Amino acid sequence: MQIFIQTLVTGIVTGCLYALIALGYSMVYGILKLLNFAHGDLYMIGAFVGYFVIQWFGGATALIIPVPLLIIIMFLLAGVGVGGLGMAIERFAYRPLRDAPRIAPLITALGISFILEDSVLLLFGGFVRQYNAPAFIPFSTGITVDGVNIDVVQIMIVTVSVLMMLGLFVLVNRTLFGKSMRAVASDREAAEMLGIDVNRVVALTFFIGSALAGIAGVMSGLNFEPISSIIGFLAGLKAFTAAVVGGIGSIPGAMIGGLLIGLCESFSSSYISSQYSDLIVFGILIATMLVRPQGVFGQPPLQKV
Amino acid sequence: MAPVGVDEWVARSGDKREQATGLRGILVRISERVGWWPRLALLAIGGFVFAQLGINVNEQTVAFNSVIYAILAVGLNITVGWAGLLDLGYVAFFGVGAYGYALFSSHAFGTLALSTGGIHLPVIATIPIVLVAAGILGVLIGLVALRLEGDYLAIVTLFVGTAFVEAVNNIAPTTLGGNNGLFGLDPFHAFGGRISSVRGYYYLGLIMLIVLMAALRLLEHSRTGRAWRALRDDPLAAEVMTVPVNALKVMAFSFGAIVAALAGTLFAGEQDSVFPPDFQSIILITIYACLVLGGVGGIAGAVLGGVTVTVAEALLSSPTDSSYLFYGLILLAVIARVRPWRHMIMVVGAIVGLGLAARAIVGAISHSAVSGSAGTVGWIGRVMHHYVIVPSGPASLTYGKIMYAILICALILIVQLKGVWRLVAVVPTVYVAACCWESLLIVESGTTAVVMLGAILVVMMAARPHGLLGQRKVEVV
Amino acid sequence: MARLLELDKVCLSFGGLRALHELDLHVDEHEIVSVIGPNGAGKTTLFNVITGIYHPGGEIRFDGRNIVGLAPHRITRLGIARTFQSLRLFLNMTVKENVKAATYGETHATPVESILRLPRARREEREVDARAEDVLGFFGQRLQGYRFDQPAYVLSYANRRRLEIARAMATGARLLLLDEPAAGMNPNETHEITELIGRLRDERGYTILVIEHDMHVVEGISDRVVALDHGEKLTEGSFHEVANHPEVIEAYLGRNPEALQK
Repeated sequence: MQIFIQTLVTGIVTGCLYALIALGYSMVYGILKLLNFAHGDLYMIGAFVGYFVIQWFGGATALIIPVPLLIIIMFLLAGVGVGGLGMAIERFAYRPLRDAPRIAPLITALGISFILEDSVLLLFGGFVRQYNAPAFIPFSTGITVDGVNIDVVQIMIVTVSVLMMLGLFVLVNRTLFGKSMRAVASDREAAEMLGIDVNRVVALTFFIGSALAGIAGVMSGLNFEPISSIIGFLAGLKAFTAAVVGGIGSIPGAMIGGLLIGLCESFSSSYISSQYSDLIVFGILIATMLVRPQGVFGQPPLQKV
Repeated sequence: MAPVGVDEWVARSGDKREQATGLRGILVRISERVGWWPRLALLAIGGFVFAQLGINVNEQTVAFNSVIYAILAVGLNITVGWAGLLDLGYVAFFGVGAYGYALFSSHAFGTLALSTGGIHLPVIATIPIVLVAAGILGVLIGLVALRLEGDYLAIVTLFVGTAFVEAVNNIAPTTLGGNNGLFGLDPFHAFGGRISSVRGYYYLGLIMLIVLMAALRLLEHSRTGRAWRALRDDPLAAEVMTVPVNALKVMAFSFGAIVAALAGTLFAGEQDSVFPPDFQSIILITIYACLVLGGVGGIAGAVLGGVTVTVAEALLSSPTDSSYLFYGLILLAVIARVRPWRHMIMVVGAIVGLGLAARAIVGAISHSAVSGSAGTVGWIGRVMHHYVIVPSGPASLTYGKIMYAILICALILIVQLKGVWRLVAVVPTVYVAACCWESLLIVESGTTAVVMLGAILVVMMAARPHGLLGQRKVEVV
Repeated sequence: MARLLELDKVCLSFGGLRALHELDLHVDEHEIVSVIGPNGAGKTTLFNVITGIYHPGGEIRFDGRNIVGLAPHRITRLGIARTFQSLRLFLNMTVKENVKAATYGETHATPVESILRLPRARREEREVDARAEDVLGFFGQRLQGYRFDQPAYVLSYANRRRLEIARAMATGARLLLLDEPAAGMNPNETHEITELIGRLRDERGYTILVIEHDMHVVEGISDRVVALDHGEKLTEGSFHEVANHPEVIEAYLGRNPEALQK
């Protein structure tokens, strides 16, 4: 039972992180029909931003500011910095390709992913870093359920993720910006003719999606994950799987998909085999797609004859 | 003759758009007048003569790899370019070909650890077996793919490709070798002869490529090729116009698979080993880059793309050649993009002047700030040593990193600026780029190669989204 | 005259929406039948059902054979070809290739035969080429000569509609379903299309079922007119019978048409 709860908690926590990354994938796909393969790398850069914030404020063992303030600064800087980076990528790489053949932005996205990953490698080197969070966060505090300790970072990750998803949900469904976003997603040209500033909407979408990935990067660093230039690829692939399983383009779908992938991963590695956990995740994806090609929450595409 | 109506006018403006002008137009018209097979023969002769030019083994390997990537790109073009099915699992078929060849030409079925036993078939038997197996696998994956469309198909096939690498890594390590791969494969042998040199494999690959190009050219303009292209443009209309769409999709998958597997056998034979990382998604991306760079949908474009990407990769991974490429590209960009001529000469002059002045000033303040040696060797390095600012000792790497950050900001700025200001901004940017190159990028040449490849892809797509030889395509979304 | 196409109590619904309801319809050999009705009456759905894109309830017999449930390419090979209201040409292929692509079902050369240029492949290729030129020649100068090798996307709207018809003809079908062939054409072109539809039957022997909104075209070509509304047949008969039928007027203009005329 303890193992079960432990696995469940781990699954939910990683699932939340995947969901945050998946949201960016999903939003960008929804609005531009673009598979932004560089998205996983934004998560990686977010994790790096957090790491350097810790270094600036004295390093993990000798912080010069209170921990809550530090975490807020990490979130803010990662959100704004990575969000801005996402916006810049959209402006310089994707915008010129709006009317190009579908495959061109795909190749550009791969090129951007190369540039980001290897630029980080050039600037910060290839060795693996750690936040060393236990030095400043009391991990032993938290809730104990049935003998299993759910630590503060795990609680924080779930809370922050849920809050951000709720915020996003409200933003998309209740605000004017959300309305114009949905308008652009369903027909860009028509939206443009109705006076919606498409470039601004797309740029903001990239900003929000990238910021979520950046914050997810910081949270994964706080949660003991190692940080290096290559962590983006696999996380991106998993998040992408989550977005697809949930129904790409759908925001609740990305959340549910993320949780599903996180839980599958943790349960398959603790109950079946950690070696095959990636294969199992991909197997689930393929099976889902064959049963429900548009994902759990996706709408089947309309075909007009 | 019907009166000139709206449709005539539309058609004529269409004609005008299609007409290329200047030297390029003349070349296009000449090559159009020559049929396709003389052009192909010319390519074949060129390929053979090239290998006779006394090139060294490294160059031969690059030439061989170009042929491999050309074959892969041509095969991918069947599935992606003609039938319009975004197959991101393509590299798995390349792997199947290579592993297939390896299994039948090594100790894999014997005792791998002792290098004894196993099956050692002649290549004349292996290749057909492997191709048939790959074709069947292509049919199976094609059948699965029938349920999916567009991007969803891309995603599922991407996982098929990833799953292949995971599978050969983890399943049956005593036969497939796991992480260690399979090595000590037999060279291509049949009828008592064997291929023992890179040049030999190159010739064989070239023959395969030429035959493949001819075959596919004939196929493209047959009923099957037309049905594929119809299906790419509009699957529903194709289905209504008597094309059994599902059968043709499966066929496109399996044809692509067979071509990829053919490249795989050749690759395994030349390498005399196969390792799981040879079939990772980076290889897939490279194959796609070849096809998209050349122009999706055309055989010639695919071959050109294959050769360009392979040669560029080879140049980028060699420290001296990559400097030629780096400075060459900058110079070419300035010469080609800056107009009128007088501005161009001013910009080039300003770049040279700025560098010399900056180095003189910094050198006067602190000698150690300029005493580091340029990373490039050879004459470029000697010239650059008197031009760029590179501090000596371990500070040079940190300095290079700062320059790199400045360079990226400067590039973003250039794209934002307009008119004269852009020209003004180009001057310091080029100088920063040179400093950064000599202090950091050339030192980390492996990483830089990937960054450059990424940058080339991004710039290329922005400049010519239809590829080098590609034609404008209309897409109905 | 022999019944070529016969629909027997054909039903189709999307979710709760009844697109077609117990529709009976028949087309005799060498007949031109027009289908009219307001937007959303189920006209295009009728075509989709006949060509196998949707699988309805009820029975559709072509030449005495039930074709419900067959794949679209099989139905076309049996002899029913259609055009699309929304114009679905193969835009990146040339004009001639568009027509040749539609002969896939009539040819049999395997890829290997095509690559090796074996006799059957060459013969078929010659035949297909001749057929394409013949079919395109039916439209006079408009799709001839230099047009053969132009990509379809440079064609004007009217020529795209002509090419749609040419493509349907090339399938070797006996029954053509034309979905609004005159939509978006100017009066001159509309007149031309009217004539052309008549020639399709008189010179080429096709049987034609056509959806059309332009009442002049309908009047000019139809042997018989069928009026649909809400997926049901309102009435059928000669153009004047149908055009003056009170239910048809109501379907188009609403109740109490006099009030509108005032």
